[in-house]
Amino acid sequence: MKRLAGLPTLRVNSARAVSIEYDGKRFHGVEGDTVATLLYANGTRIFSRSLKYHRPRGLYSLDGQSSNTYVDVDDIPNVCAENTFVGNGMRVEPQNVLGTPEHDWMAFMDKLSWAMPAGFYYTIFHKPARLWPIAVRHIRKTAGLGSLSPDVELRGRFDQIYPAADVCIIGAGPAGMSAALAAAAQKLRVILLESRPWLGGYFDYRTRNHKPGMPLYLRGRQLADQLEQAPNIRIFKHTAVIGCYSNNLITAFQRGSEADCFAERYVQIRAESVVVATGCIERPLLFENNDRPGIMQIGCAHRLARTWGVLAGEQAVFSIGHDLGIEAAIDLHDLGLSIACVADVREDGCDPALPPQLEARNIPFYPGWVAAKAHGRKVLKKVTLTNLSGVCKQQFDCDTLVASAGLTPVTGPLALAGARLEYDAHTGYFLPTGIPQKMHAAGRMLGLEDPTAIELSGRLAGLRAVADCGMAVGATISGVEEELAKLPGPARGSKFVVAPVEGKKTFVCFDEDVTIQNIDQAMRLGFDVTELIKRFTSAGTGPGQGGIAGHNLPLYVALTHRSPDLHPRPTTVRPPLVPTLLATYAGTNHPMSKRTPVHASQVAAGGVMERLQPWQRARRFCADTTARAEIENVRTNVGMLDASTLGKFRIFGPDALKALQRVYVSDMARVSTGRMYYSAMCNEDGCVIDDGVATQIAENDYYFTTSTGRAGETSEWIRYHTRYDRWDFHIINLTDAYGVINLAGPNARKVLEKVVDGAVSNEAFPFLGFREFMVHGAIPVRAMRLGFVGELSFELHVPSSYMQSLWDILEEAGEEFAIWNFGLEAQNTLRLEKGHVILGSESEQRTTLHDIGLGFFWHRDKLEAQTVGAVALKQTENDTSRLKLVGFKMEEPAARAPRDGSPIVAERIRGYVCTARYSYALKEPVGMALVEGYLAKNATRLTIFEDDCKGELMKAKVVPMPFYDPTGKRMRM
Amino acid sequence: MALTITCPICGKRSGYEFRFGGEDKGPPPQAAGLTPAAWCDYVHRNNCVAGVQKEWWCHRQGCGTWFSIYRDTTKNLEVAGPQSEDV
Repeated sequence: MKRLAGLPTLRVNSARAVSIEYDGKRFHGVEGDTVATLLYANGTRIFSRSLKYHRPRGLYSLDGQSSNTYVDVDDIPNVCAENTFVGNGMRVEPQNVLGTPEHDWMAFMDKLSWAMPAGFYYTIFHKPARLWPIAVRHIRKTAGLGSLSPDVELRGRFDQIYPAADVCIIGAGPAGMSAALAAAAQKLRVILLESRPWLGGYFDYRTRNHKPGMPLYLRGRQLADQLEQAPNIRIFKHTAVIGCYSNNLITAFQRGSEADCFAERYVQIRAESVVVATGCIERPLLFENNDRPGIMQIGCAHRLARTWGVLAGEQAVFSIGHDLGIEAAIDLHDLGLSIACVADVREDGCDPALPPQLEARNIPFYPGWVAAKAHGRKVLKKVTLTNLSGVCKQQFDCDTLVASAGLTPVTGPLALAGARLEYDAHTGYFLPTGIPQKMHAAGRMLGLEDPTAIELSGRLAGLRAVADCGMAVGATISGVEEELAKLPGPARGSKFVVAPVEGKKTFVCFDEDVTIQNIDQAMRLGFDVTELIKRFTSAGTGPGQGGIAGHNLPLYVALTHRSPDLHPRPTTVRPPLVPTLLATYAGTNHPMSKRTPVHASQVAAGGVMERLQPWQRARRFCADTTARAEIENVRTNVGMLDASTLGKFRIFGPDALKALQRVYVSDMARVSTGRMYYSAMCNEDGCVIDDGVATQIAENDYYFTTSTGRAGETSEWIRYHTRYDRWDFHIINLTDAYGVINLAGPNARKVLEKVVDGAVSNEAFPFLGFREFMVHGAIPVRAMRLGFVGELSFELHVPSSYMQSLWDILEEAGEEFAIWNFGLEAQNTLRLEKGHVILGSESEQRTTLHDIGLGFFWHRDKLEAQTVGAVALKQTENDTSRLKLVGFKMEEPAARAPRDGSPIVAERIRGYVCTARYSYALKEPVGMALVEGYLAKNATRLTIFEDDCKGELMKAKVVPMPFYDPTGKRMRM
Repeated sequence: MALTITCPICGKRSGYEFRFGGEDKGPPPQAAGLTPAAWCDYVHRNNCVAGVQKEWWCHRQGCGTWFSIYRDTTKNLEVAGPQSEDV
């Protein structure tokens, strides 16, 4: 098809050709084409088949208001062809067709529409019940939109940004642009959101004069240029608003162009004040077969020619309800479209300057007439016009019918923010009332028609937003208000809803194939509220989100309903206002984790790294998954563990001890200098949440550790539980400031004494002691003798910046003993042999301190401390109905260890295995389990179920703990 | 999250920076003579006011302070508290 060339309004670059593959064939277009305009220019009229009836559907709007032009692009279904720019080499396929859109083998469904009334899905196939699965399978196969292959991968980068602004303006038409300029002139930070790829709104494509010598499109571009030059206006084009929340939080998503680093990005804006200038869309005209390809809205036909240089057809009929329609007819006639006639649903009220211009072009004008029926089996062939009473009829041959009942404002953002929509009898619009504070509406959505008044109302809203930001512009505002009062106010709009029709295919909603007959049926069944009718018929629930059905549905219901006091009220709008890819919400997946100061050494030593909460930690350093060599090295020689992820805290101040007494279950007054003290924390239910050691560094100054998982929450926890007390203490999280090396094994002392400046003999530095040393006279080390792995061991805390040095020094000092790393797997087995618990492994959220056998840590006589969990610990002290932690061995020592988490069964589930491993020290498997009280006695048999055990339960027996070195000699060496 | 919260130290910030700490139910009751049911009520029972309620928040990604605000739960907006504490 020949393109119109040389129009000043064009947004395509005819010099650069692009091509796409559609339905297996190659089609050519020009740069700036959308998939829809390229295909339309190449003669495509049927873009898809409808959801239920498989009726042919074509280009109707250009802003994605219905699923008519949804296609599959590069294996991504449901892509709206109307706002997707063509990229070279795109592969486009039609969807929901068996065959091609032209010849769809499912087209017979249209003939069966009598069998598919509204709600048939719920009412027909549920009896007998066995019919339902069959029916569902067939319905799902025939109905729907595109289909997504489960292994398709979305290409491109999906980003997110969170800008803040003083004033955020939604819609860059004349009102929005004027508002932006008014706010920017006051040096405020302005964000302007526009869903189309360029600024200008309904000025952008019109050649009518704004002022003598200044056509509207030029005025639009003039305003746009001013905006682009303002440094304090951030413009987001091709950005659709999807949500509008309290405190002026606006969410939107932007489609990237080829120059952008993202395919789509989520934009979340927090603004002090918001101006909504979203303008109007066209309200579809309801008549028989109003969905035939070839029927389109005024803006669609007009912009197709003016913006993309494509004439909609050869011969057109107009059936419109707004001056924009007459203006489009005149303009399109001058561009070469033959126009058979223009029918206006308004009997009077059109701009008196327009009919003479039609007459001058020999275009018949029919005020008070409307399209009643479109003819043509697949695409439009002719149309029947009628007068409003339906008595006189006349047929016109045409391939294009430009149809629209009038305009309707785009109120989605305002409705989401909490405004109520009221029907206005003058404009025929649903106008917003009760707009929240610091939010303003402007422009054509208020019913204004005069271009100067629209610009001025934008300026007024912009100034009011400026006032919201605390600037004194009251006098300017009054001036603009007076000026605006002199200009024409809201114009009387068309209230026409439905043509006098006889057939059964007058569609209120294209997406869901809902006809006015379906609405009538719902009302006959007793549904009288639009919300319920919407749900029963599913009108407006498709991807267009009420773009087509939104305002016609309540108007039709009100018109048809007999009750005289029924006010039309649109259905509730919810985010997202337009369909958005989930990938855009998800954004880029940044796999972030923390690394310890000796991460590189761990990796270099062959560490198998894994994610443990926020950290990367070494699971093991040998190929053997049981880490046998590492375990035996610790038991017989000396090993080193990077334990830097432990939570480390300093708490100091006059009330520090009170705070510790509040959260730790034991008597923290016994914490003294030079010694480590083990204790645990519980929540209000007495459930154990953390354990660790504490020592006193100086007066009112303590150092304590928490488990890795609690490091992030401990400060918050202590402050929360002292929030009513106004105590004087400070807590500092030193987790990242200190690294930790656990030097463990019988030879640990021999290694340590080579590098530190103090005595480390058992007398000078006994078990549970705390000492401060200097290593090589330069590195300050906090050393504590603990026994988590059950051998002589020194836990060395060192400032993170020295951590790598200390690690290297110890490795060098230990070389003569063949010192070696050990990882989490070895530590897990080592501590299991000692019966030491890891909270989270041997406990879950409901496990109390009593349940894991650590109840003796609870100091019952410090009532005044109001220790968190003490009340519950007292109340559950003698509760026999709870799970208890026990140690077990297999009845057959040759059996393997059960898997962690396996249930323990006896008729029903009686508990579960927490951790079980083969113990190389004991040469048999050992484990810990949480079991019901009656199973907790020594020598009781436990029967363990595993998923694939085929009825063969594993048999174990309860034994006392610790399994290894029960008297604890080795850690006191 | 559309909620904004005014931290007494850092000022008005996005709700994402804060952690919810529950309704303000006052300090815990004294342990002496406390029944399990009464304790459970204190810990787990909430008033779930549809309207303005006083509640605790922690400026987790900021200064770390716990403080209380008044929030209208029906609009999810921070509101000015009542003039007198006994309201």
